[in-house]
Amino acid sequence: MSILRSALSAAVAVTGLSVSGGAALAESPTLKAVQERGTLLCSGHNGSYFGFVEVNDKNEWKGLDIDLCRALTVAILGDKDKNQIVPLSWAQRFPALQSGDVDVVIKATGWTMGRDTELGLQFSNPYFFGGAQLMVRKDLGAQTATDLDGGTICVAAGTTIERIVADHLKSENVEHTMVSFEKTAEVIGAYKSGRCDAYAAWGPSIAVLLANQFEDAGDHVILEDKLSAEPISAAMRQGDDEWVDVVNWMLAALLKAEEEGVTQANVAEMAANPPNPTVARLLGVNPGMGERLGLRETWAREMIAAMGNFAEIYDRNLGEGSPYKLERGLNNLWSNGGVLYTPILD
Amino acid sequence: MTGAATKTWLTDWQRRAFATPLDTALTIGVGLILAWLAWIALDWALLRAVFRAEDVALCKEANAGACWSVIDARHRLILFGLYPYDEHWRSTLAAAAIIGTVVLSCIPWFWTATRITATWVSGFAAYYLLMEGSILGLPQVTTDKWGGLSLVLFLFSSVVLLGMPMGLGLALMRRSRLPLLRLVATLIIDFIRSLPLLTTLFTAAVVLPILLPDWLQGDKIWRVIIAFALFFACYQAEVFRGGFQAIPDGQYEAGRALGLGKWQILIAIILPQVFRHALPATINMVVVTFKETAVVIIIGFFDLLASASAAFGTGDWVAYYMETYLFVAFIYWAFITSLGRYGEYLKDRMRQEEH
Repeated sequence: MSILRSALSAAVAVTGLSVSGGAALAESPTLKAVQERGTLLCSGHNGSYFGFVEVNDKNEWKGLDIDLCRALTVAILGDKDKNQIVPLSWAQRFPALQSGDVDVVIKATGWTMGRDTELGLQFSNPYFFGGAQLMVRKDLGAQTATDLDGGTICVAAGTTIERIVADHLKSENVEHTMVSFEKTAEVIGAYKSGRCDAYAAWGPSIAVLLANQFEDAGDHVILEDKLSAEPISAAMRQGDDEWVDVVNWMLAALLKAEEEGVTQANVAEMAANPPNPTVARLLGVNPGMGERLGLRETWAREMIAAMGNFAEIYDRNLGEGSPYKLERGLNNLWSNGGVLYTPILD
Repeated sequence: MTGAATKTWLTDWQRRAFATPLDTALTIGVGLILAWLAWIALDWALLRAVFRAEDVALCKEANAGACWSVIDARHRLILFGLYPYDEHWRSTLAAAAIIGTVVLSCIPWFWTATRITATWVSGFAAYYLLMEGSILGLPQVTTDKWGGLSLVLFLFSSVVLLGMPMGLGLALMRRSRLPLLRLVATLIIDFIRSLPLLTTLFTAAVVLPILLPDWLQGDKIWRVIIAFALFFACYQAEVFRGGFQAIPDGQYEAGRALGLGKWQILIAIILPQVFRHALPATINMVVVTFKETAVVIIIGFFDLLASASAAFGTGDWVAYYMETYLFVAFIYWAFITSLGRYGEYLKDRMRQEEH
């Protein structure tokens, strides 16, 4: 096998043909449209979604998803402001993608089978994992979900959380009573007033709540159990593989930069004096990053200079630099105990 | 108020509220409860409230009341949505142009076909030129950045402006003697009225771009305005139809007997009366439409409610959603009350004309 491959590469080298050349040079219609338009069309929100899509005091978008859109904009067009962020509701995001109102949906969107198949979407590698978690009062002394035996759990009605929590507790043989409420505010009210022992919701949302709506935040604890891990990915139209490549490598470059310690502050220095071949390739010192995607060789360097690496983007919007102080947890690099990883940069 | 009038009012009040000991007890009891509630509201909203954005730390204190800091810090977001910060003067002027247009068209002097048309055309042109900007040589701001109160005013007045004549047209078609016209109007009205507003708008915003060729799509905001106006027109047509039905056939016959043509009868005799009969229901439609513009949040417009939820939708301000909603409620209340008062004034005025 390996003999065959080396023979093949030798033949390729000799004839100057590239086996993958056909695919790499095939142009992505979306990428081409974006470059011709000079504007990337991203998804915004009709309001705000904590940490992911928000609006600041200067009427400008901000958030993790917005920063990823800006990073993509720099990668393609070299300027983080050459985008138009179209406000979309949750229900509207996929039709808007199909009709071409946006080029990509980066909007806290879970990767599900139905969306991947029936809706005709294609997903990037996940850039965030969020799942159902439980919050309890500290004085309850619960360590894991199994300690909630015989307890009452408050949850918002009709969400996937309700089902996930019920399934999990059933599999652990934990007797419990589930109380559901129509509105999030009602669920929180019920939990605060002691109507229930635990509050179940999306992990990041609980952290946001705890940081802002609980005067006695120190008296509550989010249980370690992750009842689910929903992968959050960018969604694109089916059938434009090269466009998916661009988005995947945008995410990969941000993570690779974090892995290699390339930051917004030191990117110029790193580019001038690359410590290893991976960084040299990443920052466009050695060729390979750009041409294969149909972008400029230095796109990743410009992107990191404008937006920072993945850790910096995370900290600014969800982590220490934000009001939420959300731990990286699962969303750390694999080498730091998380589940995020990068493909090999060869 | 004269002394005598005050006195009558007082005795009247006395007779109603303090007639028997039970009445007296009830009056005092209810009065005390109301005063107590008013005090709680006043204490919370003003006396213990924090007003300045810089003082937000005070809001976290145990005895703090309303935290209006959120309004101080985020009012520009609530009023202007995503409109670029440095260009807010344009959005302010544009909103003023729309309000000015509406106020002017409430004044009887403007109630001629040319004057009212000129007012509305110039008001809307001013709004569009200021907001969009590129024609006046200002930095261009695309419609996806329009938002907040000025977007609500624009949507509302465009819908009413387009919908009113369309509604009248549909009502006339429905009363036509030509079966085809009647059938078409009936079909349109019944079809659109059987759809929820949200479905109509969602179709216009999201489904039409998939079906229509590029050159026919136009901007999302115009597709939505046209769909909304059509929806308004179908209901308004039924309101007008009620107005028409209130007019006895004898008036048409009298008109014909005087040798007037069909259109002369319609314009000089019938329509003024139709408007008068339809007025209360029309004001109702207009008020409902003002509030229903909030539905556009679902199709991704950054209207007043969307921008309000964005205003408290960040870690620093999320605890103060109540204050933000109250602020928005106050804005809606101010506009709708003005519309309602204007409706009352019109009714009074028309009653005088009848005499």
